[in-house]
Amino acid sequence: MKKHSLIISFVAAIAFLISCSGDTDVVESGTYKGEIQKVKPDETEIYVSTDKDKTLELYFTDETELTQDGKMVDFSELEKGQKVEVKVEKVGKRLDPLTVKILE
Amino acid sequence: MNGLPDFPRTEVWHPLVVHFPLAILLLAVVLFLAGIIFRRVFIENTGRLLFVLGTIGGWLAIITGTLADAVVSREICDPTVLETHETNAYITAALFSLISVVVILDYFGFLNRIKKLSLILLIGLSLAGTAFLTYTGHLGAKLVYQQAAGVYTPSEDCREFSK
Repeated sequence: MKKHSLIISFVAAIAFLISCSGDTDVVESGTYKGEIQKVKPDETEIYVSTDKDKTLELYFTDETELTQDGKMVDFSELEKGQKVEVKVEKVGKRLDPLTVKILE
Repeated sequence: MNGLPDFPRTEVWHPLVVHFPLAILLLAVVLFLAGIIFRRVFIENTGRLLFVLGTIGGWLAIITGTLADAVVSREICDPTVLETHETNAYITAALFSLISVVVILDYFGFLNRIKKLSLILLIGLSLAGTAFLTYTGHLGAKLVYQQAAGVYTPSEDCREFSK
């Protein structure tokens, strides 16, 4: 009995771990609205979940314009839960953020 | 680019570090299982020691991988492969960390009452860890050999090498 429950727990844990992988999406070039899921300041990277249930992983480049109320702002202004509008360019399967507007 | 890039540079630390835990952990699994199958305690214990050493190396690989991630993500054509590589690396490190905890607890006699159960757990975890480790390595190789992640591409006429 003990052995069986150990094996079941083990298989469940592995299945859980496998389900954790592959959680971002690739979309066509365009403008998307959504909410910031995660901010990684050390990598100047954000995850945005769009209104259409897609998760975009966006690495800021030197060309990325980040604005709030029409003014340029620093990356440190970004926070989890903020509503944003992002304009992305699809390069291969990479999404380059051209503009990021903080909507609130 | 006019000259050669620095070496080593941020994204190069990861390949410099990662092959040690890769080899150590695979060897650990082989020795651990061989020790059990052929009833050689010394070989089994060598495998157990390598689990702990390999796990430390594995976390160093994750730290250097995170540093490389910040550089190469903006350059490669399919960062989803990198994302999957990273996720599987964390799963691999978690599995081998769990193995190391069990090994250490067993060494200090905390698992004496569930010796057989902990052995079954170790075998299962090490097989699962090997599968994740192999897949993570495969994705790492795809990043380098398909997308040149972290790789400097020389100019066509190799002029930077003639100085």
